Amino acid sequence: MMRLIVGRLVLMVPTLILVSLLIFALAEVLPGDVGRTILGPFATPQQVQGLDHQLGVDRPMVERYSSWLGRFVTGNWGESPVLQQRVFPLVLSALANSLLLAALALVIIIPTAIILGVFAGLHRDSFFDRAITILTLSLTVIPEFVSGVILLVIFAVSLKWLPVTALAPQGSSIPTRLYYLILPSIPLMFIELGYIARMARVGTVEVLTMPYIRTAVLKGLPQRRVIMGHVLRNAMAPTVTVIGAQIGWLVGGLVVVETLFGYPGLGKLLVDAANTHDVLMLEAGVLVVAVLYMLSNLLADVVVALLSPSVRMGG
Amino acid sequence: MPEAVAGRTGQEIQANADAALERRWQRRYLVAALLRSPTFISGLVIVVFWVLMALFSMHLTQSPFDVNPMSTLQAPSSAHWAGTDDLGRDVLARTMAGARTVLFIAPLATILALLWGGIIGLITGFYRGLIDEVIMRLVDVLLSLPVVITSILILSLLGSSTAIVIVVIGVLFTPLVSRTVRSAVLREREREYVMASRLRGERSWFVMVGEILPNITGPIIVEGTVRLGYAVFTAATLSFLGYGLQPPSPDWGLTIATERVFVQLAPWTVMFPAIALASLVVGVNLITDGLGRVFSK
Amino acid sequence: MSDAPVQEVRQTDVSAPAAVDVRDLEVTFHRRGRDLPVLRGIELRIEAGEAYGLVGESGCGKTTLAMAVVRYLAANGTVDAGSVLVGGQDVSTLSEEALRKWHGEAVAMVYQDPAAALSPAMRIGDQVGEVFRYHEGLSKVGARARAREALRSVALPDPDATMRRYPFELSGGQQQRVVIAMALAVNPRLLILDEPTTGLDATVEAEILDLIEELRGRLNAAILLITHNLGLVARLCDRVGVLYAGRLVEEGPAREIFTDPRHPYTMGLLRCVPRFGMNKTDAALQTIPGTLPALGERKPGCIYADRCPMVKSVCLRREPDLLGCPGDAAARARAEAEAAPADSQAASPHNANPVGEAAHHARCYFSAEVPEMPLTTPVLAATKEAGPEGGGDVLKIDTVRRSFRDGRKKLVAVHDVSLALKRGETFGLVGESGSGKTTLAKCVTGLIAADSGTVSFEGKRLRPTAGRRSQAALRAIQMVFQNPDSTLNPAWSTRAILTRAVRKLGGGSGSSVRAKVDELAADVRVEPRFLLQKPMDLSGGQKQRIAIARAFAGDPTLVVCDEPASALDVSVQASILNLLVELQASEAVSYIFISHDLAVVRYLSDRIGVMYLAELIEVGSAEEVFKPPHHPYTEALLSSIPTLDFDDPHQRIPLRGSMPSLSEPPSGCRFHTRCHRILGDICVEQEPPIQEAVTGHTYKCHIPPDELLQLQTATEPAAPIEV
Repeated sequence: MMRLIVGRLVLMVPTLILVSLLIFALAEVLPGDVGRTILGPFATPQQVQGLDHQLGVDRPMVERYSSWLGRFVTGNWGESPVLQQRVFPLVLSALANSLLLAALALVIIIPTAIILGVFAGLHRDSFFDRAITILTLSLTVIPEFVSGVILLVIFAVSLKWLPVTALAPQGSSIPTRLYYLILPSIPLMFIELGYIARMARVGTVEVLTMPYIRTAVLKGLPQRRVIMGHVLRNAMAPTVTVIGAQIGWLVGGLVVVETLFGYPGLGKLLVDAANTHDVLMLEAGVLVVAVLYMLSNLLADVVVALLSPSVRMGG
Repeated sequence: MPEAVAGRTGQEIQANADAALERRWQRRYLVAALLRSPTFISGLVIVVFWVLMALFSMHLTQSPFDVNPMSTLQAPSSAHWAGTDDLGRDVLARTMAGARTVLFIAPLATILALLWGGIIGLITGFYRGLIDEVIMRLVDVLLSLPVVITSILILSLLGSSTAIVIVVIGVLFTPLVSRTVRSAVLREREREYVMASRLRGERSWFVMVGEILPNITGPIIVEGTVRLGYAVFTAATLSFLGYGLQPPSPDWGLTIATERVFVQLAPWTVMFPAIALASLVVGVNLITDGLGRVFSK
Repeated sequence: MSDAPVQEVRQTDVSAPAAVDVRDLEVTFHRRGRDLPVLRGIELRIEAGEAYGLVGESGCGKTTLAMAVVRYLAANGTVDAGSVLVGGQDVSTLSEEALRKWHGEAVAMVYQDPAAALSPAMRIGDQVGEVFRYHEGLSKVGARARAREALRSVALPDPDATMRRYPFELSGGQQQRVVIAMALAVNPRLLILDEPTTGLDATVEAEILDLIEELRGRLNAAILLITHNLGLVARLCDRVGVLYAGRLVEEGPAREIFTDPRHPYTMGLLRCVPRFGMNKTDAALQTIPGTLPALGERKPGCIYADRCPMVKSVCLRREPDLLGCPGDAAARARAEAEAAPADSQAASPHNANPVGEAAHHARCYFSAEVPEMPLTTPVLAATKEAGPEGGGDVLKIDTVRRSFRDGRKKLVAVHDVSLALKRGETFGLVGESGSGKTTLAKCVTGLIAADSGTVSFEGKRLRPTAGRRSQAALRAIQMVFQNPDSTLNPAWSTRAILTRAVRKLGGGSGSSVRAKVDELAADVRVEPRFLLQKPMDLSGGQKQRIAIARAFAGDPTLVVCDEPASALDVSVQASILNLLVELQASEAVSYIFISHDLAVVRYLSDRIGVMYLAELIEVGSAEEVFKPPHHPYTEALLSSIPTLDFDDPHQRIPLRGSMPSLSEPPSGCRFHTRCHRILGDICVEQEPPIQEAVTGHTYKCHIPPDELLQLQTATEPAAPIEV
């Protein structure tokens, strides 16, 4: 098992290098003149040149890339010329905020979605199944800003049950902060609900057609045991994999939700950085997201390995 | 049906007619199954409605661009069924016209993704070996960058015209399509008819396109509609975030972004586009679901 | 341990309720709004302790019947009429909870695919122990102890270690033993076996059968064995029922059914299976013309009428009941009277169901005439003239080696195999799973490149991969594959498939291609109208015929047939084999014929090669290889076939242990770990030489031919030697 984890971590490195190359290429190579990009079309050529030199943009490409990567790995993420602050602490605090929001959404929705999906799969083609499928299908495909806005209008504006903003006053306790995060977390939950529930349902339906379920039932086992011991254990693998892969869309959702509710998370940071052409911030932020994505996939694969002995032992 | 050799002439003519009828019947059977599926039909109705709106709304409603400073932020009334926005424009007209942009961008991006992803998937799935390893590694790299974030990254630096949005979404969706196509190809290439093909000395491209491709159209179509749903989603999200379309386009994402400051005063300016967008996305996904069910039977 | 079919009649306790009593059962499936009756009017009775075999081909409904007995029909299947009583208990009246208990206590089932029947993510010990924990309420420790006992009772070595393993870590035979252990753990009253050995190697199959027989002696369960394999039934069962298209068409004591069948279908089935020792030069296989009726098709009259070689007009008018055998004039008179136009539907006194009276009954008015049933296929098949011609070798394989990499392990699939083939000759290749026969076939055709060694065709060396070979070489060597469902491209029409093959392999254009395609279809007996259809509309047999036609598109010299008939029903198999023989005679092709079915290989082949663990351990003429002296493995393989021959109680030779892994083949003689004639250290240390029994018959063993002949023809069976 450890071998699996270590092996995957090692494999992550070349992938990350490629990712960083891609980000670097997109951010600094593609637009041409970085300084111009940052300062915009109205800056004078001298100002642009000055910034370019300051950023070290006039050096050869390879040198730029390796020094950037080197600095990044050592934690020196530079200073954002736009915000006039160091990138590292900003990204980290934004990340913490986003993690809180994401955690709230995931902790509630993952078990809910799995239960709904398994239930739908167990009672295939019944009224419940149809209802759950249509419900999750509908909710999952609605863009976060759409559901966010609709929810905002209904719950915050009309009914006034929940606050309009997502940011709790400074120094609030965790529970208070979570209260403020309820509304923004719901669009995220909607999106994840669909994918997870659908995968859980598909996994369950497939497992139910397997001969070993027939064996279990004909052994005279109580239904609870059949479901818990045989169905779930074998049906969860594809669901877990999907959860891991969903991080990509979750981050996209964070971007939207944080922008909509004005919440200072990583998503909003990235959008602002993009709008202001804050290249250093963008690079750092996207790389952090990529790392998170790979880690979450790794975590999912570890869980899958725990569930399926054949994967674990390479059988 | 004794398996003796039958006489050729008269029976063959009849047989031809029978067989042609059979073929038509098979295709018709699929269509019939689709038409029987309530999910597919509901989705189709919704999507067709919006397509018609995109094409003909200008003849049916008021102009979405007429600015009227006298009647800004009016609640829904008989004059304006959906009210007016902050510039006095008719919200209903803008909502109906807003379908145009999304229905232009999303399908084109999807077609691009299907094309590129299909080619990559075919090649990597068929040849395997080094090409497969290398390309799949690149695909993994691309996949580790969330679509929305990367789009923002690229669009902010390259500018955000409609064409670039289409290409960016197409490129970013290509890896997922290629994965799906690749798995389908991997399954088919182990089949014996492919082996038989190689024993005839068929060229690789013939095996890929002539033998394997016709058998994976089902998964490709389903994947295509799934991608279409995501493309609508992504295009709307991008315009919400400010990338892609510019005012005064009645695009839904853009409208919601610009009007959301008025959400407490005039929620209708935001609700109508929101519901419209929601309905379109749901419609596309109902079609996907219906197709998926029929093809998997 | 004799594998002679059960001859004595078991003493049944007639006072106890029957283990299984099925009365007038009707099961229907509902699909897409249509009602498809799958079983009609089934009457079946199994006494306690009796073994009943239910035979039939695919689609006859035998598994449905088993599912109905245990009340586990799919959601869209309903029991429309009749009743099922198990041990006197009406299954349909049980509540959910009672049904569950009943499943755990009274019935047990063993399935076809043991790997699929075991939960992949649960350890063996837990799976077996479950029954005890949840059913008898034992504690974890108690359940574990019982599980260990259960595994020991099925002769699994090292139960403790096995209990800690997961299903995928066990071999097929071991998995099936575990399933049997679970089934018998609670001493059920009824044991249902649904194709328990299909998919297992012959030697493994024999072991499992031994186990079942032995266990049967200890427990008093009634057994319902469902299978298409007649030999299995002959070995295990007291009584047999033959199912055709959802109707029971014949029933009686096993011995009688197989030696004196009284229904045309049973007779047809028995005739189309090649009896051991038959060769194609003796006679063609009898086939059953026509196809199974479509599911749910209801016709007046006998369901078998359109395929019966003895059909008469009364058969078409009214379906016969299960009548006592042998039918006599009185029964026929009754039938004709009842079938008269003024017939009413009311049962007449003569129509009382005679099932209870006779032990052997058949659903046929003319069961007395069945022994004289006319043949459906002309007897003479290939004559000896069309046999192997003189002259050079058509194909020569020299020291071919091929290995695969599995993670870090290297598996040698083919190890230094050499053989030669003449024109017009059929070379049969036998071996169990892992023997390397399919890999060898792929190396010959060029689908896989051999790592070393050469394959030569008509004296010229062939390039290792098909892609590099010349057009002439491709034309000359073709292949027929195993799976009829994937051997033809589903997206093409049949005519397109053949046309492409003709164009690519034969050349020519336009009308000459068209003509050739028509000719090919005619040669394989497929009607022209099927050419316009897609493969999915053809039956399995027809698809395989088209596949054969495709292989012959370029007038090949050698056709490699990899289990071409294994996936087909027995009745269809016979027609495919006949076709192959015919084509060989008319086109003078050579075959490499691969099959796990020894009787079929014996029937078709002129020469035979036996493969074990990647090596060719014996080669010779078909006759020579299958009688002593021959390699001990061949000897054991032959002894493990369940035969239909009730008067030939040959001793079965059990093989010790299981097939070694290809990544670590045993030292010295590869077979030494399982050999019942092992000499001693020499077999462990030294690779055996190639001995020659007669000219052309060679085998790899340390025992010289005369000694081997003596050992193998002795009347005492060889005692397994403990090493």
